[in-house]
Amino acid sequence: MLPNIRNRPTRLVESRSTTADVGAASFARRPHRSSRLHAGARAGWLLSAPAILFIAVFVLFPLGFAVYISLTDWPLIGSYHFIGLGNYVQLGSDATFVQSVLFTLKYTAIVTLPILLVGYGLALLVRSNRPGAIVFRTVFFLPYVVGLATESYMLVLELQPDSGAVNFLLSRLGIAKASTAWLVDANLALIAVSVLVVWFASGLTMVLLMAGMQGVPRELYESAEIDGASWWDKELHVTLPLLRGTIALSLIISVIGSFLAFTQFYILTQGGPGTSTDTVVMWIYQVGFVQLRLGEATAMSLVLMVVVGLISIGQFIFLRAGREEGQ
Amino acid sequence: MTFKRTTRPATSEIGGGALYLAAGIALSVIFAAPLIWAVLRSFQPASLIGSPLSSKNFSSLTWGNYSGLATGPTNILRHVWNSLIVASATAVLTAVVATLAGYAFGRPRLRYRGAGVVFSLILVTLMIPFQAILTPLFLELHVLDLTNSLLGLILFYTAYNLPFGVFVMRNTFTHIPQEMEDSAAVDGAGVMRTLVEVLRPLVVPGMATTVLYAFLFAWTEFLGALIFLTSDSKLTLPVALLNVESGTYGSVNFGFLIAGAVIAMIPCVVLYVALQRYYIRGLMSGAVKG
Repeated sequence: MLPNIRNRPTRLVESRSTTADVGAASFARRPHRSSRLHAGARAGWLLSAPAILFIAVFVLFPLGFAVYISLTDWPLIGSYHFIGLGNYVQLGSDATFVQSVLFTLKYTAIVTLPILLVGYGLALLVRSNRPGAIVFRTVFFLPYVVGLATESYMLVLELQPDSGAVNFLLSRLGIAKASTAWLVDANLALIAVSVLVVWFASGLTMVLLMAGMQGVPRELYESAEIDGASWWDKELHVTLPLLRGTIALSLIISVIGSFLAFTQFYILTQGGPGTSTDTVVMWIYQVGFVQLRLGEATAMSLVLMVVVGLISIGQFIFLRAGREEGQ
Repeated sequence: MTFKRTTRPATSEIGGGALYLAAGIALSVIFAAPLIWAVLRSFQPASLIGSPLSSKNFSSLTWGNYSGLATGPTNILRHVWNSLIVASATAVLTAVVATLAGYAFGRPRLRYRGAGVVFSLILVTLMIPFQAILTPLFLELHVLDLTNSLLGLILFYTAYNLPFGVFVMRNTFTHIPQEMEDSAAVDGAGVMRTLVEVLRPLVVPGMATTVLYAFLFAWTEFLGALIFLTSDSKLTLPVALLNVESGTYGSVNFGFLIAGAVIAMIPCVVLYVALQRYYIRGLMSGAVKG
């Protein structure tokens, strides 16, 4: 406490005198400016070096290494040979890989629209600062924060035939039998995981869309009101067009998330029955870390990465086009 | 990253206040119920958790699942400890490295030739999913003797949290008024002293966002931990629960599984509810600029 009281007045005086002197001082020092900048630049380099090192060692190097591995028949132990594009050519004839791609696309197609619609609805509800909005927002986002691994374990228990809460509820409603075994049927398992993921992910879409909605200039609504626009008119003709970019962003994030799906299927179905619920990342894991065919697994990974990268680039182009159109 | 809270509804809102409240409460129940239900289930005796649901089965609640997890072969405390170490270290390391880099990229005084390119390159790595380079990462960590190592996992998590962290911290530093730094410089403070003594209070919110993201990422991450950790004693909580689910230690005990899941959930809920404005702000800054 004491040093604080003593320091404060002197500090104030100091800083006042210095701000007054800044113009003169910088003018007087101009000849030395380049050397001072130089020292600053060196400090800047040093300060950013740890981050650069981390990214170089754990992101960029593995990326380059991945290209190299994908051109070989790399086993975990023993020597390897270059086989050119062999791994890539073979992907087409790997029936399980093709099946996992199709399954991942199907899963993505099922969950994407519900996540967007539920997220949009939630955003409409919480975007204002009406009483309770912050509490609602907190609750809707909670499933995303807790994470899919934990929630998948919870769902394992509740999907048990005869003892789980899901069958209990659905049999009361007359929708399913109390003995329904969700996780041994590919379609039922896909439905269960999809519902889980919509519950998990719509909070994220909600926050993104809420940020976009709050950024719409108030004047636009006011002038629409003067023209006699109804609530629907304003949403349709003011909010929606201005949210294009945000909607695209949240779609991209959710589609990429679905393409990379692993945890929820690994915990709930282990890809079964058979390999019918294997996602692409699960099959990469299987080939690379269980069957130890690293070359093939890496080739698949790079294909996946290019697809994900193309989606991200597509987003940029879409956003830029939208922005230019708006101007 | 100046975040102004909107103090008024952006538009006139749908329906009346009563309809809004009813919808909000009903949806809150739907969204929160599975998590609250899991907590209730975790106090059911293990012998009743596998029998058909009825209110009778909830008449004798017990801590038995938790004590069984702690004292039995699952040794849950070890895995909670592993997860805590990994998540805390990832959070601290990410925040420190991202703050230094954000300082360098965000202040004109520290700008060096090529800084803009380096910053863009770091941002671009946001688009590289770690799921796509697990094989080379595994081989690399193996050579560095960092597989089956909590340190290896910490370094990996830090690297993948850095792009977002650097982005947040650069925004934070960019919004500091130049006079703050100038007066410190004239006082004779060096680059580091300026950061620690003058700028620190201004960048704490950004650091809180970075810490929160990194901690929650590391606490909930599953695939990397599954691949990089091999011995049972090293496993983090989400992967350790896999052994409970598959009954590695004897028959499957659903009481243990649900209690373990609730333990994994608690830090997420507590941290998020306590620090949610930092979390939401981070997301929104990404959304608006992204």
